Amino acid sequence: MVDFEVPDVDYTRYTNRQLMAIPLVVLAIALVILSGWYVMTGSPVNQSIDFTGGTELTVQTDTPRGDLAAQFDPAPTSIQSVTDQENRYILTFKESGGSTDLAQQAEQNLRPADGADVVLSYQQVSPGFGSSTQQTALFGLALAFVGMSILAFVLFRTFIPSLGIVISAFSDIMVPLALMNVFGIELSLGTVAALLMLIGYSVDSDILLTNHILRRSGEFYESTYRAMRTGVTMTLTSISAMAVMAIVAFVFRIELLASIGLVLVFGLATDLMNTYMFNVSLLRWYKIGGVES
Amino acid sequence: MSALDRIRENWQIILLVILLVVSGVALFVPGVVGGSSDGSTNLQYGLELDGGSRIRAPVVGMKVELSVDQFGNETAPGEVESTLSGELGVERQDVRVLVPRERGDNVRTVAVEVFADDTHGNVTPEEFAAALRATGFGGVTVDDVEDGVTAKTRSEMVGTIRTKISEAGFAGRTVRQATTVDGEHFIVVAVPDKDPDEVRELISSRGRVTVDAYYRNESGTYVQKTVLTGPEMENIGSVQQEQNSDTYFVPIVVSDDVSGRFAQDMVDGGFQSGSQCTYTQNPNGTDPCLLVVVDNQVVDAYGVQPDLGRAFVGGPNSDFANDPSFRIMAPNYSEARDIRINLQAGSLRAPLDFEEATTFQIRPALAEDFKRNSLITGVIAVLAVSIVVFIRYNDVRVAAPMIVTALSEVALLLGFAAAIQLQLDLSHIAGFIAVVGTGADDLIIIADEVLSEGEVHSARVFQNRFRKAFWVIGAAAATTIVAMSPLAYLSLGDLRGFAIITILGVLIGVLITRPAYGNILRTLTTDQ
Repeated sequence: MVDFEVPDVDYTRYTNRQLMAIPLVVLAIALVILSGWYVMTGSPVNQSIDFTGGTELTVQTDTPRGDLAAQFDPAPTSIQSVTDQENRYILTFKESGGSTDLAQQAEQNLRPADGADVVLSYQQVSPGFGSSTQQTALFGLALAFVGMSILAFVLFRTFIPSLGIVISAFSDIMVPLALMNVFGIELSLGTVAALLMLIGYSVDSDILLTNHILRRSGEFYESTYRAMRTGVTMTLTSISAMAVMAIVAFVFRIELLASIGLVLVFGLATDLMNTYMFNVSLLRWYKIGGVES
Repeated sequence: MSALDRIRENWQIILLVILLVVSGVALFVPGVVGGSSDGSTNLQYGLELDGGSRIRAPVVGMKVELSVDQFGNETAPGEVESTLSGELGVERQDVRVLVPRERGDNVRTVAVEVFADDTHGNVTPEEFAAALRATGFGGVTVDDVEDGVTAKTRSEMVGTIRTKISEAGFAGRTVRQATTVDGEHFIVVAVPDKDPDEVRELISSRGRVTVDAYYRNESGTYVQKTVLTGPEMENIGSVQQEQNSDTYFVPIVVSDDVSGRFAQDMVDGGFQSGSQCTYTQNPNGTDPCLLVVVDNQVVDAYGVQPDLGRAFVGGPNSDFANDPSFRIMAPNYSEARDIRINLQAGSLRAPLDFEEATTFQIRPALAEDFKRNSLITGVIAVLAVSIVVFIRYNDVRVAAPMIVTALSEVALLLGFAAAIQLQLDLSHIAGFIAVVGTGADDLIIIADEVLSEGEVHSARVFQNRFRKAFWVIGAAAATTIVAMSPLAYLSLGDLRGFAIITILGVLIGVLITRPAYGNILRTLTTDQ
């Protein structure tokens, strides 16, 4: 069997400033991307019809992909193929008219495949409802974040290490958000769920590390190494589960599971970097000052 | 070590096994949990995994709450309703005054509602406030007007829609209310295996059925007068076909309180010697007619047999008042069925706003694909976790119980889901996978802590290390619960299920499965 050992990083070779610089630069880049997006599009992330309102149709048809858009008035804003089914498409429309008009257009204008129903699924969200969902989701995220922060302070009752956990969790959310823009993933209810899960997951490894360093006897580097061995295994296990889920769900076009999986992979990878570069050096500075005590 | 000691030492494993058996029973033994189940398990699936339609729409309307003093102790709600509907130019039934049952009890407000707004029925908040002032409530301003209708109206509507949908034969429906954070209320209707159009058609009409008399008054012009309203018709029978004819009817009984008045109305309308109705061909020269009116549309018009006409004579003392059976006619079967449904369910108090509606529909075939594929996805994710854990520990004695324990968390959750008849959707599946992920994480913490400082020789050393590991696990579990609880509480559609499953999974993990894993690990490491 392949052996898998968590590498023993020699932290003494790097100064706190060197270690902290990388995660902070990554966070800064993420924030630049998000604010750039805000300036260009009026929103820091691309939002799905869950939040903007609109209509999404899944259709099965023999009409060629190139001819699909012309069959609708108004035309769809996007057409996606479904990977495991040749003649299935997901059509997205900005409009969310009060009737099921678009579904009827699909039934009338598209050629059915083997006499089956054309419209397989139909989802329509009114803009008013979308914006209320968006507010609710933002409120939920904020509440979860504040709750987690308070808990971090209650658990360790020391300012700097607790603050480190909070900053790290903040970055664990912002970096995946920026990556979502880069990879063209929309913020939907599913991805909000993933971001909330990240709050839970990412804090695990921070708590583990902080606990080992602050609450256990033993020398700093020894404690760090032991926390790291467990923490990295944990995060890698989660990453592999989520990566597999994202890939399989993407093939099957189960959008909710695919986007949850992918956002968690981004976030957990970010968390590896934040925990073992940012939090470690913050704790080292807090506990022993410099590189060596 | 005696058998009793062994049990005492390993009670957490025994508890886990018992709970797994209970879950298995809840999951697989048919009929244990009630409700209908399809297939081999007792699990219930929601729309996304079974197919169907869901419409979520707000109720059209505005309301103003007046204090009882402001409303006046002597004011009659009915008069306010008619004055106000006149002021607003809407129908009487689109205005409602809700007075607390006993004036002067805890509820100190009277709610005045209008079931219209600027897009439906063309009433702006300003006009509503002005009409209230004109009706005699001087102090009302536009700031007092709230969007939406009262809770009483909403729950009545839920009841009406429920009956309508059941009467229409749509099985397995759910009708409920939902509220967003900013206090907006929605009515959610979910029906398996039907198109949204069918559902929408059924609930978009108000379904207000009346019987109107149409006759010439003294001055010779035709008048139309409502003689029976929906609530005045009782004992609604099933649709029957008229003998030797292709017309249908719904047998009803006129309510005792109004049967005399109805008979008198019929005499006043000139029906006492029977009438030949020619309303459809010649509305301006017909005998008196009875019109069946649904939502202001005349659906049928008919005359009265001479026998029945004679029975009306005498009003309150007539033969009809003694035996007030009556037939509501319809031109065809489907109209008759709709009338029956509308009479059974009552009319919808207020219209639903389909402009602001959210509709979701998924065909059973696609839902079936989702069900199968999400199961495959879940299994593969679990395999991925197992492989990583095996590679990391390179020791079957540590890794195998870890996988088994993580899977038993899912088994307990599935049993729980079956027991409470939770309708599983994709978001729950995501929750299950998340539970496997966090579960494995915590078991890794336990294993590392226990195995880290060499061999474990005594139970006391083990206990010490396990307790240390448990602090981290408890803290991590607390953060996950804190992060997920807003979602479990807020009305965010799909995500609620996900959050509830994750929180439950974490609780089951911390309280049941992880201590059990600790026991297993101790048995394996301390050679007891």
